[in-house]
Amino acid sequence: MFPAKDTPTSLSNNNQERVVFPRAPDFSHAREAIVLSTDRSVALGAVDLHKSYGATKANRGISLSVMRGEIHAIVGENGAGKSTLMRMLQGVERPDSGHVVIADKPVVLNGPAEALALSIGMVHQEFMLAPDLTLLENLVLGEEPVTRQLGPLSRIDWAKALREGQGLAESIGAQIDWQRRTSSVPVHILQFVEIIRLLRRGCNVLILDEPTAVLAPPQVEELFDLLRNLRANGTTILFISHKIGEVMALADQVTVIRQGKTVFHSTIAETTGPEIASHIVRDAPPLETSPPPSRTVTGEPVLELDGLSARSLEKSQSLDNISLQVRAGEILGIAGVSGNGQGELAECIAGLRDTSAGNIILQGADITGETTLARRNRGLAYVSADRRHEGLTTAASIETNVIAGSHRAPPITRGGILSRKNLRQEASKRLAALKVVFGKVTDPADSLSGGNQQKLVFARESADNPKLMIASQPTRGVDLNGIAAIHGLLRDFRDQGGAVLLASEELDELIALSDRVVVIFEGRLVGEVTSPAGAMAQIGQMMVQGDAA
Amino acid sequence: MSSSIASRSIGILLPLVVSLIVSGVVLLVIGKNPLDVFSLIATESFGNARRIAATLSAATPLLFTAVATAVCFRSGVFNVGVEGAFLVGGLAAVFLGFTLPAAWGFALFPICFFAAALIGAIWLYVPGILLAKFEVDEVVSTLMLNFIAVAITGYLVNGPLLSPLSGNNVTPLIHEVAYLPRLMPPSTLHAGFLIGLVCVAAYGFWCRYTPAGFEGGLIGLNQRFSRAVGISVPRTIVGVMILSGVIAGIGGAAHGMGQMHRFSDGFSPGYGFTGMAVALLGRNHPIGIVLGAILFGALASAGTTIQLFSNIPLDLVNIIQGTVMIFAVVELGRISLRRKKGTANAG
Amino acid sequence: MQVEQILVSTLILTTPILLAAIGGLVNRQAGIVNIGLEAKMLSGAFVAVIVSSATQSWFIACLAAALSSAVIGWMFSLTITRAHANMIVAGLGLNILVAGVLGFILSWVYKTSGTLRQPDVVLLPDVLPEFFEKIPVIGPALSSLDPLTIFAWITVFCLPFVLTNTRIGLWIRATGNAPHVTRAVGLRSLAIQDASTAFAGFFAGLAGAHLALASLGLFNEGLTAGRGFIALAAFYFGRDRPIQTAMACLLFGFLDNTQIRLQTAGFPPKLIGMTPYLMVLLALIFTSVRAQRKARL
Repeated sequence: MFPAKDTPTSLSNNNQERVVFPRAPDFSHAREAIVLSTDRSVALGAVDLHKSYGATKANRGISLSVMRGEIHAIVGENGAGKSTLMRMLQGVERPDSGHVVIADKPVVLNGPAEALALSIGMVHQEFMLAPDLTLLENLVLGEEPVTRQLGPLSRIDWAKALREGQGLAESIGAQIDWQRRTSSVPVHILQFVEIIRLLRRGCNVLILDEPTAVLAPPQVEELFDLLRNLRANGTTILFISHKIGEVMALADQVTVIRQGKTVFHSTIAETTGPEIASHIVRDAPPLETSPPPSRTVTGEPVLELDGLSARSLEKSQSLDNISLQVRAGEILGIAGVSGNGQGELAECIAGLRDTSAGNIILQGADITGETTLARRNRGLAYVSADRRHEGLTTAASIETNVIAGSHRAPPITRGGILSRKNLRQEASKRLAALKVVFGKVTDPADSLSGGNQQKLVFARESADNPKLMIASQPTRGVDLNGIAAIHGLLRDFRDQGGAVLLASEELDELIALSDRVVVIFEGRLVGEVTSPAGAMAQIGQMMVQGDAA
Repeated sequence: MSSSIASRSIGILLPLVVSLIVSGVVLLVIGKNPLDVFSLIATESFGNARRIAATLSAATPLLFTAVATAVCFRSGVFNVGVEGAFLVGGLAAVFLGFTLPAAWGFALFPICFFAAALIGAIWLYVPGILLAKFEVDEVVSTLMLNFIAVAITGYLVNGPLLSPLSGNNVTPLIHEVAYLPRLMPPSTLHAGFLIGLVCVAAYGFWCRYTPAGFEGGLIGLNQRFSRAVGISVPRTIVGVMILSGVIAGIGGAAHGMGQMHRFSDGFSPGYGFTGMAVALLGRNHPIGIVLGAILFGALASAGTTIQLFSNIPLDLVNIIQGTVMIFAVVELGRISLRRKKGTANAG
Repeated sequence: MQVEQILVSTLILTTPILLAAIGGLVNRQAGIVNIGLEAKMLSGAFVAVIVSSATQSWFIACLAAALSSAVIGWMFSLTITRAHANMIVAGLGLNILVAGVLGFILSWVYKTSGTLRQPDVVLLPDVLPEFFEKIPVIGPALSSLDPLTIFAWITVFCLPFVLTNTRIGLWIRATGNAPHVTRAVGLRSLAIQDASTAFAGFFAGLAGAHLALASLGLFNEGLTAGRGFIALAAFYFGRDRPIQTAMACLLFGFLDNTQIRLQTAGFPPKLIGMTPYLMVLLALIFTSVRAQRKARL
């Protein structure tokens, strides 16, 4: 799935001069060209959409033409304006200026129901399926076939519903056991059910929001086959992604969005992965690619995992026989497609998830059965991937957030009494040390920007001289300045002899920071790269295929 | 943060205003001037020292039940079982108060209070450990335990502990040495009120100046976060349930030894639930709790006189209490707030 | 003879619990735990007595009781669904509020406290003709069947079908399970919840009417005596499934019945009275422990 020609290795040195849509994108020629060459109509489009939220300009000139019967990919970084665009195409938001085009006509949409009525359906990342109902019940919910019309009391014609479901599943080559309870069905099947439900409601344009984010590679293949079948049946698909390999493998057309604007459009046949990549990140300051090429780490092992396994609980990935070692003065990166177990591994080490076999050894001591508190007292720090729900208590004050965990230790608590004065002093000290920008220490943590929230987390976690830092997606949703600051913090920590286990979905970040990278795939470690710089292709392949072949 | 202060004061005032309107409308319907009645209630409950004493006396059990409720609500534990712990604690204290020899004198106080606290703690430890260990829904378990407490205490006062001298439904009187001293005779205001104030103050201290109180507040806001920073959520849950049981039990003991001097079938006319209204109205804040308890104490003590003199049914108090409870948990601000959040998620 | 009597009185004592539990279980399937059933039973009983006396019709009395409680239920639901009140506290508050309002009306309008007697209250009739009494064992039970008892049991046996096979049934289950999904497919999930709470009120009102009109013919402030909570216990015990819940109601009705009988035999009635609550507690523990075992595997 990562053919050699579009490996993102060449990402930074591929600054081609060709800019298809300079500053103000003029979509007319491209559209003309396509219309002339294909003689087909626009199923879903946008003309110069603008949308601001307060001072934030989320979209500032997006134009798009999705041709009937094609798979059109929209790519762009987090924060490029994709979700705002989707909300407008769906009718959830109204554009400030510009308009949405459906079936060659400009339209004004007031809500998803109107989009649905015009045959536009969206598959969200969160599936809209009730877990305790059967798949069939979910399929018909809201538009039930009835034997006789009696309003809400009408009897549902289950036989007809089943026929419809089976017919649609067959037409796109999916196998679905409609009587199963939704909660017991694998995630890619649920995605198929979502798609079939939209088809059943008469949608001929489907918007898929990063549909592969939750899927394992073989499931991705199944999804792509299904989408190709859909295209063959005449359905138009708008496919949102930030994975170039997937776009190259699946799409007919690609549009790149950057900083709220369309900056590039092409048919897939006429472009390459590196070219798309260059448009996605053009204006971003190049990340420091610092680790000295062959830095040798000689520190003592701080963390050792020996055959660690964990069972799957409620949709989580199980872990299977994971062994690794992190030394003092080393950043060990964990690469993996989202949902392959990196989050679960971090939780196991932090003591937030039960393990079923194997040992966790921190500085020579077996901590497998210890509580989170005991592990923290031994020098473990944990930066959660879910900053807003686990890394912070957004409703609590900044001082509470930066102190929590140390609130039982002196000087904050002495003789069982918690001193508010010492608490505030210690909080101010910690916040100042990491240059967190805030109003008052009593303000809720919610009042901070994403980058400052994450700095606050680091201020708390690095305060007690930890030996090991588990950093899970540390820069997710953080602006560029914040990212630079957080990278600096991690490097400093490493340079002062700390051990870091870094899990990130941003491969660039992993490669820029890590001394070594291990790849996790479906809960197993499938490979290790000792000099990550320049090994992006190799890592990428292991991430998606589970082997280095 | 002026907006949060504003929204908080709306949160406190809303239930009061709505219940004033509701009761005002009820009074208008029966042809009474609500303002007259409200000022009558005010003078009847605060008009002179004797009346203030009656009000505070009526507020006494509510101080305990409100604090016992607030300890749990603040930590996100929906304990509605304070009523039951109040009952079993009260019965335990009263039982020892008449069975132990009167010659033990003042030693009876610590013994009875300790026993009540212990029984109350055990009573709420059960749903606490069930919630912490097995995720047994605490609302239902504590609700059921209330009925079980009513049944058990009802059985005991009608059977094994029935007073041989009185008719039905009461235990013997406790020894006179075990009576809590009256503060303003002839009013029934007793030392239990002071103990109640101490409990409220201790609760306020616990919230702000102890690590356990800090942890309780945190798990009330975010359990995942608390777990990640090393706080044991199960232990904290069990801890606040035990604390709640201790306070409720002491409250029962104070009521039994200060007010009733025995245990009877109607020992608590729903103090646990009124205490819940007080805690909600006071937003779990110590000062709010004292004010709320005095407010409901005033309604209870004035209600009787009002019924006598102006012929307005005592049930008006229940109407006010019910309205306060419903509107104390209403969140009118949330709808608009959520919309704002929705649009802020640009990206 | 003894068996026949037990059958008759168990059946009659079960009906109000069963009616309230039917409402409560549908309500809970839609995602609302109705702690206010007690209040709606009480108001239903009150309305039933007044209307029965005024109109001389048990049918109009029952209908009025049901509708008035449905309206109370609907308004109660609005505070939960629209104003985001916590359903437990609001339910407890409703119980206190309604008891207060009824007590107030009793003393202000009827100048009485506690009990309201009205002239010529028409009781619920026996439905089946007299010769049914001659059937052995179940005869007396059949002949003493009142319309509300029959209605309750018909509803119980229709309910599984309605919940699985009708649109509203599917909507209710979907709303209770995942309200955001119901909204996303274009259904008005809040209105569905409101409707289910009004439905619960309707049946709680009927339950109250049965308490007042089955044999007493008067209203008393303590008439419901916690039966709203026994109903709650029943649908928790029956895990919201109609037939299982009805069986729990029968058991509780039987216990209620034996309580009276065992009292004469010297057993403490209060302790028997707590069995439903104890059973729910044990059932809760049992299911939670089992669910956790399952999750661990």
